Amino acid sequence: MTTVARLILGGVLIAAGALKIGNPADSVVAVKAYQLLPESIAVAVGYALPILEIVVGVLLVVGLLTRVAAVVAALLMFAFVFGIGWAWAKGLRIDCGCFGGGGQLGAGQEPTYLLDILRDFGLVLLGAWVARFPPGRFALDGALGLGGDTQDEDEGDD
Amino acid sequence: MGKGERTKTKSQSAREKIKAQQAEQRAREKRRKTVTYVTAGAVAVAAVGLGWWYAASISRPEEAAGALAPITVQADGTAVMAKAGVTAPVVDIYEDFQCPACKELERVSGQTFKNLAAEGKAKVVFHPITIFSQEPTKSNSVRAANAARCVADGKQWLAFHDLLFKNQPSETEEGFKVDQLKQWGKEAGVTSPDFDQCVTSNKNADAHLAYSKKISEEQKLNHTPTVKLNGTEIDNQVLFSPAQLRDEITGAAK
Repeated sequence: MTTVARLILGGVLIAAGALKIGNPADSVVAVKAYQLLPESIAVAVGYALPILEIVVGVLLVVGLLTRVAAVVAALLMFAFVFGIGWAWAKGLRIDCGCFGGGGQLGAGQEPTYLLDILRDFGLVLLGAWVARFPPGRFALDGALGLGGDTQDEDEGDD
Repeated sequence: MGKGERTKTKSQSAREKIKAQQAEQRAREKRRKTVTYVTAGAVAVAAVGLGWWYAASISRPEEAAGALAPITVQADGTAVMAKAGVTAPVVDIYEDFQCPACKELERVSGQTFKNLAAEGKAKVVFHPITIFSQEPTKSNSVRAANAARCVADGKQWLAFHDLLFKNQPSETEEGFKVDQLKQWGKEAGVTSPDFDQCVTSNKNADAHLAYSKKISEEQKLNHTPTVKLNGTEIDNQVLFSPAQLRDEITGAAK
């Protein structure tokens, strides 16, 4: 069960990051489109986000540092939910930029905020699940005797 | 000291030995875990840092090289930036003052276009167009483009063009207001005598919209920024990587 959650969440993150990684400019524009962060921070986030998504996604898929990665992933998704909610509340008409794209809608396109929020919130829950339970089978953590499958007294993973 | 007691102490010390061994093993396990965790964590953080650095470095704008190439404002509202006698390769930049991706293009690659023109390696043509069909973005864009058409001198035109992108308003509210445009005209050193009146009356709006429509159909433009090198669209990824962009344009000169 956790294995499935891990793979879905990791897969989504890798896909989202991979579609953005070749185009730092696009992801900067997408981050700026939310009008949530000051200019200079938006640029830095735009550059860092794709690679962060990929790294966290890979960690989840191979099951290394599973819990830490899951917490980071859940926080990321929560930030996305917040961002989309913010855009919605402010009445911005943007494309979420979730899977690449420059965050702008063409004429006649309508934003799909609710769907995006539900999807990302579902992923938050998956992240919480993976963080809460042991990483399951096929995880490197298990193979390396990390993250314990049993009543391992986890000392709050750094 | 009976035999029984001896075996007792023996087995006791053996038990303690085993206990100590087990404790040591546990400590070893824990050390191994910590090392593995910290290593994996460090590698992950390093990978993120490296990726960030790489993205930032391929998007780093060029430094200003000095004097600009001569700029001429054309009757159709476009502006040509080229050294005398340079007619190729032609770089056509189709951009909308209200489009965020165009602002980003100017931020990342604007200086590259200026430098290449100054080096005599390209003839750069700016085509301000209005791609937005919805309000408030459409009117914002038209007001800004009208104001740019009010500037006669090429150098002033480019300074004004840069200020418009720098001060680009949000896509959700009325921006590029008349008073702001006048103010930025002053900042850009615009000396055209009827500039203020021209901005207020919005007199070039129709001409600008007609040009946008015509050029968009001719060039099959469906997004801004679109940049064409000798008529062929430059790939987005190249467009936003100054070093690659320079190679592509100088490569076309040969």
